[in-house]
Amino acid sequence: MDFRLPAENDPRRAAVRKWLSEHPKPSGRQLAEAGYTVPHWPKPWGVAAEPELQFIIDEEMGRASVMPPNLINPVAINNCAQTLLTHGTDAQRERFLMPALACEEIWCMLFSEPAGGSDLAALRTTAKRDGDHYVVKGQKIWTSLAHKAQIGVLIARTDTAAPKHAGLSAFLMDMKSLGVTVRPIIDLSGHENEYNEVFLDDVRIPADRLLGKEGEGWRIATSQLQTERVALSKPGAIWGAGPSARDLVNGLAVSGHLSDPVVRDEAAKIFIEGELLRLLAYRALSDRMNARPAGPEGAIRKMLAAPHGQHIVEMAKKVQGPRGMIAGEQPFPSQVGSGKGMFADWDYAFWFSPAVTLGVGTQEILKNIVAERTLGLPRENDPTAKLPWIEINRAKSA
Amino acid sequence: MNFSLDDDHLALKQSAAVFLDKEIVLDALLKPGASVAQANYRGNWKKIAAMGWTGIAVPESYDGLGLSCVDLAMVLGEMGRTLAPSPFLGNLIGTWALLKFGTDKQRQRILPAVAAGTARLALAVSDAAGDVDDHSPEVSAQPSAGGFSLKGTRAFAIDAADADWLIVDAHNAQTGRRGFFLVDAKSGGLDIDVVNWRDLTRQVCDVRLNGCACEEMAPFTPTDWAWVQDRILFALAAECAAGTQQILSMTAEYAKERVAFGKSIGSYQAIKHSLADMLGQAECANVAVLYAAWALSEEAPQASLAAAMAKAFAGDAYVECTHRSIQIFGAIGFTWEMKNHLYLKRAHANAELFGNSRVHRSRVIDFAQQAAA
Repeated sequence: MDFRLPAENDPRRAAVRKWLSEHPKPSGRQLAEAGYTVPHWPKPWGVAAEPELQFIIDEEMGRASVMPPNLINPVAINNCAQTLLTHGTDAQRERFLMPALACEEIWCMLFSEPAGGSDLAALRTTAKRDGDHYVVKGQKIWTSLAHKAQIGVLIARTDTAAPKHAGLSAFLMDMKSLGVTVRPIIDLSGHENEYNEVFLDDVRIPADRLLGKEGEGWRIATSQLQTERVALSKPGAIWGAGPSARDLVNGLAVSGHLSDPVVRDEAAKIFIEGELLRLLAYRALSDRMNARPAGPEGAIRKMLAAPHGQHIVEMAKKVQGPRGMIAGEQPFPSQVGSGKGMFADWDYAFWFSPAVTLGVGTQEILKNIVAERTLGLPRENDPTAKLPWIEINRAKSA
Repeated sequence: MNFSLDDDHLALKQSAAVFLDKEIVLDALLKPGASVAQANYRGNWKKIAAMGWTGIAVPESYDGLGLSCVDLAMVLGEMGRTLAPSPFLGNLIGTWALLKFGTDKQRQRILPAVAAGTARLALAVSDAAGDVDDHSPEVSAQPSAGGFSLKGTRAFAIDAADADWLIVDAHNAQTGRRGFFLVDAKSGGLDIDVVNWRDLTRQVCDVRLNGCACEEMAPFTPTDWAWVQDRILFALAAECAAGTQQILSMTAEYAKERVAFGKSIGSYQAIKHSLADMLGQAECANVAVLYAAWALSEEAPQASLAAAMAKAFAGDAYVECTHRSIQIFGAIGFTWEMKNHLYLKRAHANAELFGNSRVHRSRVIDFAQQAAA
């Protein structure tokens, strides 16, 4: 056992630094072609990096102030594009992968619906085969980046007579297709377009945009929600992209609040949480390197990390007093933040924070998953799981 | 970088688990009215001594095993998981204190006997408020013919009544400075009372010194004391983390078996979510302890930070989870005949010994700022 991180003079670091000095402001395409966008993928897209090399690449990119491509095009890079490797056709890989990794085509994930968030498999959007096309009807909601996206990964129902999980299929939909309407949702932070509604009115998708086979939609969707790279994410607000507990303690030191024993104690709790979450992430990485079986550690870490992010920004907001209620007011001098752009904005991070225990699995669903998969507690009973989907809806409307 | 335990650690943990599961029986403590006297404290120690764990932290140069803190975390964890009543912890703490503050001669005289299981050590450092960090003048050491003589009281000394040698923190009247003094337990003027400690699986004592003869030890330095204190905090945290894991497993099993309204209570989300929270705490406590174990083994610069984080986090997690466990068991968990209260009491007691979580969180901030500066 060795908790030392890869050394400063590690030759693998030198190689990354050399590349970064030759490409001081790398474009998305340069990063993607060098394999640094998805280093853990096989060549030619990645560099087949073992977890330690991934760690080094992430750290060196951070030091060079390179905006991580997975924050620019998160749906493609973190979640969806990898399924193209396993489920996609050669033609699909050829067409979609490089533009996605280079952040030239932004992707969004058309999963959640007004009638189904946590119970994703109950979704109602249908895709009916019509010659060499599918015709899609329905509505999606909570779609991040839909307003910027060229490509939407759509889960829709192709078989209404099958049970709800079995009748789903996945598609790569062109967001500029006729019949696609994107409307921004203004969330409570006041930000527009963080989330969107997407209306799908008889959208025609060419049949060769089907991802995998018909009926594989559920399997593809769930595999896309297991994000391997999140293992490397740093604990902090906004799912790790925002201020961290170390930033908080530095800020409170600068602002003089640490001399208040109550603040000091609360800040220390949050600081310790952050350090332990970082260690848990490193341990997951090590277990992968040692080929130890990976448990549902991702779910455990998200269950802990999301509230941790909330604790950071709540504490910072609290020490501001009424000043913190003025829009845009920052609690500390800006130099204490390690985030970039909107992710360095403590006020935004605070008002965004209710979302982190909702998005990508609500806290309640995560706790179910953790309790069922790790502790072996009985699974939640879904009385609709085995019924043909069409009958579920009939029962509801009756 | 490798944060996983290697196979040797896992094997050591496994063998400790098999041994302790077989040998440690707490049934006598589950009869109402039981006290530490029924804990089979000495009987357990004989078995533990036969395993060779008496000299677990004694360096090989003194005939001990000289195990690293990572190895120790495996054994301490299993001791904590099974609540094994015995002088193991007190002797371990005494060993660390003698290693840092003993003179060469004192170490040569005592450590081989400790390793052989024929002598036991204990540390008496707490004042009546449980404070161990500041030098409190509650015990004074006066020069006397052939050495020093101690006067005063030390509280919360773990396993002192069964120790052959006590290491006592005192104010040296000659130098006006803090120092450690070695006391032969057979000396006159020494009274040790076992207090009515709520944690029945541990012997905790008051040590009264009435002109008790002693030997001066090596000069006190804050660095050496930090070395000892970090290890004590780590040891308590290791017990806490493993106890948290154990109480979680016991409670999860119960939640699967216990049926209410036609279903096991573990199928209700109120119970599931509570157990998921406990699991999160157990995982964090475990990684905190391993990090501290590694930092101490390596004598890394962040050792004090890591030990303080582990004590603060695992101490609180253990208290929280043993409380939740009783809530999930329901009223049966509130009875003397169930094990839940033994864990609850160990948790509260460990949380209070050698500084509570708030004390160590404040130190964490200090260390973190020093590291950032």
